[in-house]
Amino acid sequence: MAGIKTIIGLSFVLAIGFLLVILSATLFTNKNYLTLLVVATYVVAPLPNWICGRAANPDDFMESSGSGVIDLGRFLTGFFVVMGVALPTLLWHSAQIVGAAAAMSVVGGLLIYGTIISFTMFFQEEQEF
Amino acid sequence: MSTHRLFRFPKPAWMNNANTRTFGVYTAGALFSLGFYILIDIANWSKSAMNASDPAVHITFVDWIPGICSALGMLVINSIDKSRLSADSFSYSGNGVAWKARLVLFLGFALLAGGLAGSVVVLVLKYVVTDYTWPTMWLGAGNVVANALVMLSSAVLWVAQNMEDEYTYNLAL
Repeated sequence: MAGIKTIIGLSFVLAIGFLLVILSATLFTNKNYLTLLVVATYVVAPLPNWICGRAANPDDFMESSGSGVIDLGRFLTGFFVVMGVALPTLLWHSAQIVGAAAAMSVVGGLLIYGTIISFTMFFQEEQEF
Repeated sequence: MSTHRLFRFPKPAWMNNANTRTFGVYTAGALFSLGFYILIDIANWSKSAMNASDPAVHITFVDWIPGICSALGMLVINSIDKSRLSADSFSYSGNGVAWKARLVLFLGFALLAGGLAGSVVVLVLKYVVTDYTWPTMWLGAGNVVANALVMLSSAVLWVAQNMEDEYTYNLAL
Protein backbone atom coordinates (compact mmCIF):
# COMPACT_ATOMS: atom_id res chain seq x y z
CA MET A 1 0.00 0.00 0.00
CA ALA A 2 0.96 3.61 -0.48
CA GLY A 3 0.21 4.24 3.19
CA ILE A 4 3.23 2.31 4.42
CA LYS A 5 5.55 4.09 2.03
CA THR A 6 4.13 7.43 3.08
CA ILE A 7 4.66 6.63 6.76
CA ILE A 8 8.22 5.49 6.17
CA GLY A 9 9.06 8.55 4.06
CA LEU A 10 7.50 10.96 6.52
CA SER A 11 9.29 9.45 9.50
CA PHE A 12 12.54 9.62 7.54
CA VAL A 13 12.01 13.34 6.85
CA LEU A 14 11.05 13.90 10.48
CA ALA A 15 14.24 12.21 11.65
CA ILE A 16 16.33 14.36 9.29
CA GLY A 17 14.58 17.46 10.62
CA PHE A 18 15.30 16.57 14.24
CA LEU A 19 18.88 15.64 13.29
CA LEU A 20 19.45 19.05 11.70
CA VAL A 21 18.02 20.95 14.64
CA ILE A 22 19.94 18.98 17.25
CA LEU A 23 23.16 19.21 15.24
CA SER A 24 22.69 22.97 14.93
CA ALA A 25 22.61 23.14 18.72
CA THR A 26 25.61 20.93 19.42
CA LEU A 27 27.89 21.05 16.37
CA PHE A 28 29.36 24.51 16.70
CA THR A 29 31.97 25.82 19.08
CA ASN A 30 29.68 27.75 21.35
CA LYS A 31 27.25 25.08 22.38
CA ASN A 32 23.97 26.68 23.22
CA TYR A 33 20.61 25.10 23.00
CA LEU A 34 18.66 28.16 21.91
CA THR A 35 18.00 26.63 18.50
CA LEU A 36 15.91 23.92 20.11
CA LEU A 37 13.25 26.61 20.52
CA VAL A 38 12.50 26.03 16.82
CA VAL A 39 11.31 22.51 17.54
CA ALA A 40 8.97 23.79 20.23
CA THR A 41 7.64 26.43 17.84
CA TYR A 42 6.87 24.00 15.04
CA VAL A 43 5.33 21.47 17.39
CA VAL A 44 3.01 24.17 18.73
CA ALA A 45 2.24 25.61 15.25
CA PRO A 46 -0.49 23.14 14.15
CA LEU A 47 -2.27 23.32 17.52
CA PRO A 48 -4.27 26.59 17.05
CA ASN A 49 -5.87 25.38 13.83
CA TRP A 50 -6.74 22.10 15.44
CA ILE A 51 -8.22 23.61 18.59
CA CYS A 52 -10.13 26.39 16.83
CA GLY A 53 -11.38 23.97 14.19
CA ARG A 54 -12.99 21.96 16.96
CA ALA A 55 -14.27 25.03 18.76
CA ALA A 56 -16.19 26.39 15.76
CA ASN A 57 -18.92 24.87 13.68
CA PRO A 58 -18.12 25.59 10.02
CA ASP A 59 -21.48 24.43 8.72
CA ASP A 60 -23.32 27.14 10.58
CA PHE A 61 -23.75 30.07 8.21
CA MET A 62 -26.05 32.08 10.43
CA GLU A 63 -23.57 32.07 13.28
CA SER A 64 -21.06 34.78 12.43
CA SER A 65 -18.98 34.34 15.58
CA GLY A 66 -17.86 30.87 14.53
CA SER A 67 -15.66 32.05 11.67
CA GLY A 68 -13.94 34.50 13.99
CA VAL A 69 -12.58 31.64 16.07
CA ILE A 70 -11.34 29.87 12.93
CA ASP A 71 -9.71 33.07 11.75
CA LEU A 72 -7.95 33.40 15.10
CA GLY A 73 -6.58 29.89 14.71
CA ARG A 74 -5.31 30.62 11.21
CA PHE A 75 -3.78 33.90 12.33
CA LEU A 76 -1.93 32.13 15.14
CA THR A 77 -0.75 29.42 12.75
CA GLY A 78 0.73 32.03 10.42
CA PHE A 79 2.30 33.68 13.46
CA PHE A 80 3.99 30.47 14.64
CA VAL A 81 5.24 29.44 11.20
CA VAL A 82 7.00 32.76 10.65
CA MET A 83 8.21 32.67 14.26
CA GLY A 84 10.11 29.47 13.50
CA VAL A 85 12.08 31.33 10.81
CA ALA A 86 12.33 34.66 12.61
CA LEU A 87 13.61 33.33 15.92
CA PRO A 88 16.89 31.80 14.65
CA THR A 89 17.40 34.81 12.39
CA LEU A 90 17.20 37.27 15.24
CA LEU A 91 19.45 35.12 17.42
CA TRP A 92 21.96 35.09 14.55
CA HIS A 93 21.61 38.85 14.11
CA SER A 94 22.55 39.49 17.73
CA ALA A 95 25.44 36.98 17.49
CA GLN A 96 24.07 34.50 20.00
CA ILE A 97 24.24 31.64 17.50
CA VAL A 98 26.37 31.38 14.35
CA GLY A 99 24.83 31.71 10.90
CA ALA A 100 25.22 28.05 9.96
CA ALA A 101 23.37 26.99 13.11
CA ALA A 102 20.56 29.39 12.27
CA ALA A 103 20.26 28.05 8.72
CA MET A 104 20.32 24.44 9.89
CA SER A 105 17.67 24.99 12.52
CA VAL A 106 15.42 26.81 10.04
CA VAL A 107 15.69 24.00 7.47
CA GLY A 108 15.20 21.35 10.15
CA GLY A 109 12.22 23.16 11.60
CA LEU A 110 10.58 23.49 8.18
CA LEU A 111 11.10 19.76 7.60
CA ILE A 112 9.47 18.94 10.95
CA TYR A 113 6.53 21.24 10.26
CA GLY A 114 6.13 19.90 6.73
CA THR A 115 6.05 16.39 8.13
CA ILE A 116 3.34 17.22 10.64
CA ILE A 117 1.23 19.02 8.02
CA SER A 118 1.54 16.34 5.36
CA PHE A 119 0.88 13.63 7.93
CA THR A 120 -2.42 15.25 8.89
CA MET A 121 -3.22 15.83 5.19
CA PHE A 122 -2.60 12.22 4.25
CA PHE A 123 -4.57 10.71 7.06
CA GLN A 124 -7.37 13.23 7.38
CA GLU A 125 -9.38 11.94 4.42
CA GLU A 126 -9.93 8.58 6.02
CA GLN A 127 -11.89 10.23 8.79
CA GLU A 128 -14.37 11.86 6.46
CA PHE A 129 -16.07 8.65 5.39
CA MET B 1 -26.36 43.27 -6.78
CA SER B 2 -24.49 44.03 -10.00
CA THR B 3 -26.77 46.91 -10.95
CA HIS B 4 -25.94 48.75 -7.75
CA ARG B 5 -22.28 48.84 -8.61
CA LEU B 6 -20.59 52.20 -8.61
CA PHE B 7 -17.34 51.60 -10.47
CA ARG B 8 -16.81 50.47 -14.03
CA PHE B 9 -14.53 47.57 -13.21
CA PRO B 10 -16.07 44.78 -11.14
CA LYS B 11 -14.32 43.24 -8.20
CA PRO B 12 -12.32 40.30 -9.58
CA ALA B 13 -13.87 36.93 -8.96
CA TRP B 14 -10.95 35.52 -7.01
CA MET B 15 -11.50 38.19 -4.38
CA ASN B 16 -14.62 36.41 -3.19
CA ASN B 17 -13.00 33.03 -3.15
CA ALA B 18 -12.85 31.31 0.23
CA ASN B 19 -9.28 30.19 -0.44
CA THR B 20 -8.13 33.75 -1.01
CA ARG B 21 -9.68 34.69 2.29
CA THR B 22 -7.94 31.86 4.14
CA PHE B 23 -4.65 32.84 2.53
CA GLY B 24 -5.22 36.45 3.58
CA VAL B 25 -5.69 35.50 7.23
CA TYR B 26 -2.53 33.36 7.20
CA THR B 27 -0.64 36.22 5.55
CA ALA B 28 -1.87 38.64 8.19
CA GLY B 29 -0.58 36.35 10.92
CA ALA B 30 2.76 36.01 9.17
CA LEU B 31 3.14 39.77 8.74
CA PHE B 32 2.25 40.40 12.38
CA SER B 33 4.77 37.79 13.46
CA LEU B 34 7.45 39.43 11.33
CA GLY B 35 6.74 42.82 12.89
CA PHE B 36 6.68 41.39 16.41
CA TYR B 37 9.98 39.59 15.99
CA ILE B 38 11.64 42.66 14.50
CA LEU B 39 10.70 44.41 17.74
CA ILE B 40 12.15 41.51 19.75
CA ASP B 41 15.20 41.64 17.48
CA ILE B 42 16.00 45.26 18.25
CA ALA B 43 15.56 44.61 21.97
CA ASN B 44 17.83 41.57 21.79
CA TRP B 45 20.39 43.28 19.56
CA SER B 46 20.47 46.27 21.87
CA LYS B 47 21.77 44.17 24.76
CA SER B 48 24.03 41.90 22.71
CA ALA B 49 27.72 42.10 21.90
CA MET B 50 26.90 43.31 18.38
CA ASN B 51 25.81 46.67 19.74
CA ALA B 52 29.22 48.36 19.65
CA SER B 53 28.09 51.93 20.21
CA ASP B 54 30.68 53.68 22.33
CA PRO B 55 28.51 55.64 24.71
CA ALA B 56 26.26 52.63 25.04
CA VAL B 57 22.89 53.16 23.38
CA HIS B 58 20.15 50.82 24.49
CA ILE B 59 16.46 50.79 23.88
CA THR B 60 14.33 51.98 26.75
CA PHE B 61 10.63 51.78 27.45
CA VAL B 62 10.11 54.68 25.04
CA ASP B 63 11.01 52.41 22.13
CA TRP B 64 8.33 49.92 23.15
CA ILE B 65 5.43 52.40 23.35
CA PRO B 66 4.75 52.63 19.54
CA GLY B 67 4.73 48.86 19.23
CA ILE B 68 2.33 48.50 22.14
CA CYS B 69 0.04 51.14 20.62
CA SER B 70 0.06 49.42 17.23
CA ALA B 71 -0.68 46.00 18.69
CA LEU B 72 -3.53 47.39 20.81
CA GLY B 73 -4.95 49.20 17.80
CA MET B 74 -4.86 46.03 15.74
CA LEU B 75 -6.61 44.12 18.51
CA VAL B 76 -9.34 46.75 18.75
CA ILE B 77 -9.92 47.01 14.99
CA ASN B 78 -10.18 43.31 14.42
CA SER B 79 -12.38 42.66 17.44
CA ILE B 80 -15.17 44.67 15.85
CA ASP B 81 -17.81 42.75 13.98
CA LYS B 82 -17.66 44.36 10.54
CA SER B 83 -21.32 43.77 9.71
CA ARG B 84 -22.31 46.12 12.53
CA LEU B 85 -20.73 49.02 10.67
CA SER B 86 -23.37 49.19 7.99
CA ALA B 87 -26.19 48.59 10.45
CA ASP B 88 -28.67 51.42 10.32
CA SER B 89 -29.89 52.63 13.63
CA PHE B 90 -33.52 51.70 12.97
CA SER B 91 -32.74 48.12 12.12
CA TYR B 92 -31.29 47.65 15.57
CA SER B 93 -34.11 49.52 17.24
CA GLY B 94 -32.15 52.63 18.05
CA ASN B 95 -29.36 51.14 20.07
CA GLY B 96 -26.85 53.06 18.03
CA VAL B 97 -24.75 49.99 17.35
CA ALA B 98 -23.27 51.41 14.17
CA TRP B 99 -22.33 54.60 15.98
CA LYS B 100 -20.60 52.71 18.77
CA ALA B 101 -18.81 50.50 16.27
CA ARG B 102 -17.54 53.53 14.39
CA LEU B 103 -16.34 55.16 17.60
CA VAL B 104 -14.42 52.09 18.75
CA LEU B 105 -13.05 51.61 15.24
CA PHE B 106 -11.88 55.21 15.19
CA LEU B 107 -10.05 54.64 18.47
CA GLY B 108 -8.42 51.57 16.97
CA PHE B 109 -7.26 53.37 13.84
CA ALA B 110 -5.99 56.25 15.96
CA LEU B 111 -3.94 53.82 18.04
CA LEU B 112 -2.56 52.16 14.92
CA ALA B 113 -1.64 55.41 13.17
CA GLY B 114 -0.30 56.78 16.45
CA GLY B 115 1.94 53.75 16.77
CA LEU B 116 3.42 54.24 13.31
CA ALA B 117 3.84 57.99 13.80
CA GLY B 118 5.32 57.42 17.25
CA SER B 119 7.91 55.02 15.87
CA VAL B 120 8.98 57.66 13.34
CA VAL B 121 9.18 60.18 16.18
CA VAL B 122 11.42 57.84 18.17
CA LEU B 123 13.60 57.24 15.10
CA VAL B 124 14.03 60.94 14.41
CA LEU B 125 14.35 62.29 17.92
CA LYS B 126 16.42 59.54 19.46
CA TYR B 127 18.60 58.31 16.60
CA VAL B 128 18.67 60.74 13.64
CA VAL B 129 18.95 64.08 15.45
CA THR B 130 21.68 62.75 17.73
CA ASP B 131 23.76 61.66 14.70
CA TYR B 132 24.06 57.96 15.38
CA THR B 133 25.52 55.92 12.53
CA TRP B 134 24.07 52.85 10.87
CA PRO B 135 24.40 49.85 13.19
CA THR B 136 22.94 51.88 16.01
CA MET B 137 20.36 53.42 13.70
CA TRP B 138 18.79 49.95 13.28
CA LEU B 139 17.29 50.35 16.75
CA GLY B 140 15.09 53.13 15.39
CA ALA B 141 14.65 51.95 11.81
CA GLY B 142 13.61 48.47 12.90
CA ASN B 143 10.98 50.04 15.10
CA VAL B 144 9.47 51.85 12.10
CA VAL B 145 9.59 48.67 10.00
CA ALA B 146 7.92 46.66 12.77
CA ASN B 147 5.10 49.15 13.21
CA ALA B 148 4.57 49.39 9.45
CA LEU B 149 4.34 45.59 9.28
CA VAL B 150 1.76 45.49 12.08
CA MET B 151 -0.25 48.12 10.20
CA LEU B 152 0.02 46.14 6.95
CA SER B 153 -1.03 42.97 8.74
CA SER B 154 -4.05 44.77 10.15
CA ALA B 155 -5.01 46.00 6.67
CA VAL B 156 -4.68 42.52 5.18
CA LEU B 157 -6.79 41.03 7.96
CA TRP B 158 -9.44 43.73 7.47
CA VAL B 159 -9.68 43.06 3.74
CA ALA B 160 -9.79 39.31 4.33
CA GLN B 161 -12.59 39.59 6.85
CA ASN B 162 -14.63 41.85 4.57
CA MET B 163 -14.15 39.28 1.84
CA GLU B 164 -15.72 36.72 4.11
CA ASP B 165 -18.87 38.78 4.48
CA GLU B 166 -19.39 38.94 0.71
CA TYR B 167 -18.76 35.23 0.43
CA THR B 168 -21.23 34.31 3.13
CA TYR B 169 -23.76 36.68 1.65
CA ASN B 170 -23.55 35.08 -1.78
CA LEU B 171 -23.85 31.66 -0.23
CA ALA B 172 -26.81 32.61 1.93
CA LEU B 173 -28.67 33.88 -1.11
